[in-house]
Amino acid sequence: MTIAPAERRNAIEMHGLTKRFGNVMAVDNISFNVARGTIFGFLGPNGSGKSTCIRMLCSVLEPTSGTATVNGYDIVKEPEQVKRSIGYMNQSFSLYRDLSVEENLRFFGGIYGLKDSHLRARMDDVIHLMGLQNYLGRPSGQLSGGWKQRLALAAALIHEPDLIFLDEPTAGIDPVARRELWDLLFELAGAGKTLFVTTHYMDEAERCNEIAYIYLSKLMVKGTPNELKALQEITPVGTRRIAVATAHPPNALVLLKRQPFALDATLVEAEIHLLMPEDTTDEQVLRTMRDAGILDGVIRPIDPSLEDVFVTLTRRLAAQ
Amino acid sequence: MIPTLFGFKSMALKELIHIRRDRTTLVFALIIPAIQLSLFGYAVDFDVRHVRTAIVDMDRSRESREYAQSVVNTQYIDFVEKLNTPGEAEIALQRGDIRAALVIPADFARKYGTRVPPQVYVMVDGSDSQVANPARNAFRHPPTIPPGAISPDAVDVRVNYLFNPEIRTQIYTIPGLVGVILQLVTVTLTAFSLVRERELGTLEQLMVSPVGKLGLMLGKLVPYAGLALIEMFSVIFLARLLFNIKVEGSLPLLLLLSGPFVLAALSIGLLISTVAKTQAQAMQMTMLTLLPSILLSGYITPRETLPVPLYFLGNLFPVTYYIQIIRGIMVRGAGFTDLIWSVVPLTALMLILITAATTRFRKSVA
Repeated sequence: MTIAPAERRNAIEMHGLTKRFGNVMAVDNISFNVARGTIFGFLGPNGSGKSTCIRMLCSVLEPTSGTATVNGYDIVKEPEQVKRSIGYMNQSFSLYRDLSVEENLRFFGGIYGLKDSHLRARMDDVIHLMGLQNYLGRPSGQLSGGWKQRLALAAALIHEPDLIFLDEPTAGIDPVARRELWDLLFELAGAGKTLFVTTHYMDEAERCNEIAYIYLSKLMVKGTPNELKALQEITPVGTRRIAVATAHPPNALVLLKRQPFALDATLVEAEIHLLMPEDTTDEQVLRTMRDAGILDGVIRPIDPSLEDVFVTLTRRLAAQ
Repeated sequence: MIPTLFGFKSMALKELIHIRRDRTTLVFALIIPAIQLSLFGYAVDFDVRHVRTAIVDMDRSRESREYAQSVVNTQYIDFVEKLNTPGEAEIALQRGDIRAALVIPADFARKYGTRVPPQVYVMVDGSDSQVANPARNAFRHPPTIPPGAISPDAVDVRVNYLFNPEIRTQIYTIPGLVGVILQLVTVTLTAFSLVRERELGTLEQLMVSPVGKLGLMLGKLVPYAGLALIEMFSVIFLARLLFNIKVEGSLPLLLLLSGPFVLAALSIGLLISTVAKTQAQAMQMTMLTLLPSILLSGYITPRETLPVPLYFLGNLFPVTYYIQIIRGIMVRGAGFTDLIWSVVPLTALMLILITAATTRFRKSVA
C-alpha cells in the first residue's frame, strides 16, 4: 500500500545512495531523511558531491546503488512522478533570457502539462507571490540579479511542487535581494513546502531547520544548527572557545596564532575567535597581548559558530 | 526511461519565440539565402566575361578579321594571344594560359557569304564549367550582337571541349545551390540550439522537468524543418524570378524527396550540438561539414573530376544525393523511378544519421 505523498512525514528518504563515475566515487553511501515542511541545508565544499546527489534526487541521474524516495516516489522507478512533484532552482540563472518574464512562466508551466485557465491561474499565483507584476513583458535577461532569482523561483513553483531544490539560490546577488529571497523561502516553508537548499553562506545555514554536511562524497554530520555546534569533536574535552575584542584585530590575530595555546584562531566580525586548552586562563592571553603592546583586549566565552563546526570537521578529516 | 512526446507543444512554441526574437537567426535564415543565391548565381552567369582566348587566324583576310572583331564586341571574349597553329593553341590551353582558342581555317573568306557557310573551330577548356559555358555561348549564341557585326548564323561554329566533354550548363548550378543553402541553414541552426541551452544552463532546468526526450528533440527540430521548407520554396521562387529557372518536374515530388534530406541535415546539426561544448565549437564543426558538402557534392565541380578517395568521401554526404535529385527534378523533369538510385542512399544515410543523432542526444541530455 502506497502512502499518499501529503501524509508522509519525510519529503526525502535516502538509503545508501551511491554514485560512481568510473573510478571516481561522487556520492558514497549516503543515508538520511528530510522532514516535510522544513528548510533543509545541504552543505559541503565544492566538488564534495552535492550536485550529483541532487541530480539523483531529481531523477536526472540513476544511482549506482542504494535507493531514495522523493515525496514518496522511487527516484529510479517513478522518475516522472518525482519530476512532477519537485521544483528546481539552479545556481546560475537558467531561464530563457530572450523570453519575457511571462513567456518564461508560460513555457515552464507548459512543460509541466499546465494549460488554459489552470495555467493562467498558476501564473497569476506565482507572479503575485514573487511580486513580478511590473516586469511581465520584460525580457528576463534584462532583470537584475535579485529579480532574476525571483523569476527562477516563480518558475520552479509554477506546478505547485511539494519540494523545491535550490542549488545555491543566492550566489552572486546583493544582500538586500538575499534577505528578501530568504523571506520568501520562510513564507514557502510556512505554507508547508519542503526546501532543500545548498549554500556556502554560514548565515544562511543558520537559518535552516536542519543541516547535512557532506565532505569527500560522504555524509559527515546531520542535525539542527544547535546540535552541530554542541558536537563533542567541535570543542573537544579540555578545550574552550573565547572571543577577544581589540582595536587592532589583525595584529592580535597574527600574534595569538603564533602562541602554543592557540589550537585554532580566526577573525569573525572584528573579534578573534580562539580555541584553546581549558587550563589556559584569560589572563595568560591578555598578558601575551600586553607584552606585544596591545593593551585594550577584552575577553568573553563563546559557543562555536557553524563556520567553526565545518572548518573543524573538514580539517580533521583532511588531516586523516 | 522511455522517450515520450510530453512537452512537445511547449518546446515547439518556445523555439518559435526564439526564432522570432533572435534577429540574427532570422536574418541568417531568410536573407542570407537570398544574398547567396544572388552572389553565386550572378557570379556563375555574368561575372565570367572577357574569357582569355587565343586566335589562330589561318586565313588572314579582311573577313576573318571582321569576324574576330565581332566576337570581341560581344565582350565575352578577349583575344590575348595570336598563335599560328591549332597545335600551339592546344598546348596553351593545357598550360592554362588561355581558356579558349578560336581557329579560323584558311578558306574562311572564300566560303563566307556562299551557300555553304565557313566553318570555325573553337577549343574550350571544359574543366571549369563556369567559364566554359559563357565561352561557348559567346561564339555560338552571343546574347547581344553589336550593330554591323557578322551574324553568327553566317558562320558554322564547331565547339570542341577539351578535358571535360560532359559540360554542365548554368541551369545545373542553381538547383545544386538550393541543396547547399538548405543544408547550410538547417545544420547551422540546429547545431546551435542545444549547445545554447547547455551554455545557458537551461538544459539542466529542462532535465528536471517531465519534458520527454522525444518532445525535447522534436520540439527543437520541427520548427527548423518548417523554416527549411519555407526557405526551399523561397529560393526556388527566387531562382525563377532572377534566373528564369523553372521546375520542369513535379513540385510535390521535390517536396517529398526534400523530406529525407532535411531530416538528414537536421540530424547532422543535432549530432554537432551533442558533441560541441560551446557555440564556438559548434560553429567550427558546422564549417567542417559544410565545406566538403559544397566541394565534394558535385555542386561546384563535376564529381567525375574528383580523385577517387574524395569521390567516395562525397558519397557520405546527403547533399550529394539531394543535388542529383533536385537537378533531376528541376532540370530534366525526372520522376521518382529515374531518381531511385539517389533516393535509396539518401534515405539510408538519413536513417543512419537520425539513429546516431537520437542515440547521442539521449546520452548527452541524460
